[in-house]
Amino acid sequence: MSSATSAPRAIALRPRSAVAVAVATVAGLMAFCWPLLVRDGSVLAENTMAPLILGALMPVVLAVVLFEISEGGLDPKAIAMLGVLAAIGAAIRPLGAGTAGIETVFFLLILGGRVFGAGFGFVLGATTLFGSALFTGGVGPWLPYQMIGAAIVGLLAGLLPPVRGRAELLMLAAYGAVSGLLYGLLMNLSFWPYSLGYKTEISFVVGDSVLENLHRFVVFEVTTSLGWDLVRGLTNVVLVLVTGPAILATLRRAARKAAFAGRGASHSDPRNLSTSDRRSPGAP
Amino acid sequence: MGSTGQLPRALHPLAWWGWAIGLAVAASMTTNPLLLALVLGVVWLVVLARRSDSPWARAFRIYVALAVVIVVVRVVLHVLVGFKWGDHLLFRLPSVGLPEWAAGINLLGPVYLEGWLAALVEGLKLGTLVIAIGGANALANPKRLLRSLPNALYEVGTAVVVSVSVAPQLAQSVQRVLRARLLRGESGLGLRALAQVALPVLQDTLDRSLMLAAAMESRGYGSSRGSRPARRRLTGSLTLLGLVLLAFGMYGVLDPLGTTGDWGVPILAVGVAMSVAGMAYGGRELRVTRYRSDPWRAAETLTVLSGLAAAAGTAVSRSIAPDLLVMPLQPIAAPGLPVLAALGITLAALPAFVTPRTPSSHRAQAPVLRVSGELSEVAG
Repeated sequence: MSSATSAPRAIALRPRSAVAVAVATVAGLMAFCWPLLVRDGSVLAENTMAPLILGALMPVVLAVVLFEISEGGLDPKAIAMLGVLAAIGAAIRPLGAGTAGIETVFFLLILGGRVFGAGFGFVLGATTLFGSALFTGGVGPWLPYQMIGAAIVGLLAGLLPPVRGRAELLMLAAYGAVSGLLYGLLMNLSFWPYSLGYKTEISFVVGDSVLENLHRFVVFEVTTSLGWDLVRGLTNVVLVLVTGPAILATLRRAARKAAFAGRGASHSDPRNLSTSDRRSPGAP
Repeated sequence: MGSTGQLPRALHPLAWWGWAIGLAVAASMTTNPLLLALVLGVVWLVVLARRSDSPWARAFRIYVALAVVIVVVRVVLHVLVGFKWGDHLLFRLPSVGLPEWAAGINLLGPVYLEGWLAALVEGLKLGTLVIAIGGANALANPKRLLRSLPNALYEVGTAVVVSVSVAPQLAQSVQRVLRARLLRGESGLGLRALAQVALPVLQDTLDRSLMLAAAMESRGYGSSRGSRPARRRLTGSLTLLGLVLLAFGMYGVLDPLGTTGDWGVPILAVGVAMSVAGMAYGGRELRVTRYRSDPWRAAETLTVLSGLAAAAGTAVSRSIAPDLLVMPLQPIAAPGLPVLAALGITLAALPAFVTPRTPSSHRAQAPVLRVSGELSEVAG
């Protein structure tokens, strides 16, 4: 129990849910990168509403994944932990949101995913953004994109290699920088044709080669929003480095106290009988 | 329970969302400024008439500001990097050509009325869309909306309910820690003080989550699952296969050549149907009773129908006379008024008059907050 990275995961990913998460990640990336995938003659090519149509499909994808992950029952402790962490995230998100790309919620997703595992990180990302949108009245077609983006950020944070100490902190900070930047890039990419319209020189052109569209997108990104995305990455680095040691220790202490039984691995599955006993030593 | 249709009550949140989506769809089909102005007026009227005094209702002005920003950005970007076209020269700016590595784009240059107007109405369309969505956000109670989540998402939904009801308690937690610091004679501000407040608050919240979990377990949370393996296998294969088909169909819709051909949309539809069926089947396994479930009465149906009327009217108008739905720019002329679209959108103003008035208190929140109330009793 001394090493929290090898402690039982708050939400265990069974093979079935792992497949679902993988498929959803691919589907999410497709929805983000649709301007690079779309071809002439496609149903969505002539349609400026493509992000909205894909945005209507994403909730279905998210619902299926979250259903798969929680199917068979989640540990109530994991649910309560999810709830309070998402509440903290929702509370600190308005502190920075909107001002020059300062995004104050990602570091919490990264640290949470790191301590409680990939499955927890995925659900934490989705619930935090959902709860925060409900809280601030920010529900709209962009929400599914934000949810799946944040879920992937939390998921990957839980899959980082198990190093400890100073190296861990540096790794998380570097991950924060990369994920903050990539998140912004992907968000911009998905709404690029939509936010700019078709008739400018840095607009998306249906049927152009991927490279030419990518080139124009990079120009669009550099001229309009790269500054914001860089600031978002930088915010992550600073917050992870400054608060990381204390928050990691606090979360690990909470994880030890909670003694998650990995009940996400269903009780009817005989292989998991030994871990599904909720009255394991250490539980209150 | 015993309330008639005319007593003040909050409408079902999904009704407001249906209404707003109808208007958003109507707005997305047209660049005719008359129709867009009509949509804006309808949303404005209904929001003013039926919004509550809740925090989320105040978010509406943020959406209005966002819409203004969208229009301004569109117009500025048009002048900056837009493709300028038209006959009526507005003003002439020096043209700046960027080198090849920057995609060889031209900045500034002469601005024509036609292109400028096109950018303006496009921005107006997006802004109207955003304001329609803002209307739903302002009118629909998000906490009641959570209860409309499908049964299959009960557990994740519980986590969101916990988060939405715990967040206000964070403020109490902060106050408690601050008071303790004052009693100890520490009153310094700054970064160190921030850490000294934030960490205890975090620990407090995490401990609280364990107590909440204990409270949930002692009330039998999640214990009613009698899962039959055959049923679970069926649910699992339905949802998983549905998800795979959905992803495949999505790619097929984007890039039909060489993958699915014309089959993209059907595959997508089958994927969605299988996913939804799997979740519905799996969700039936869970027996959850709803405390004070939201009624769906005539007013709700009427609200959704009025939103639908806006979308349908605009769609029919578009198939009859597509020219009337766009701002005429070549040559510039005054936009006409398509009667059916205008009628449909005007119908969407009905909820401002026929739905029951919104109660002014926060009574509707009570059941959700009850969980946290019990929690603080446990904590105290």
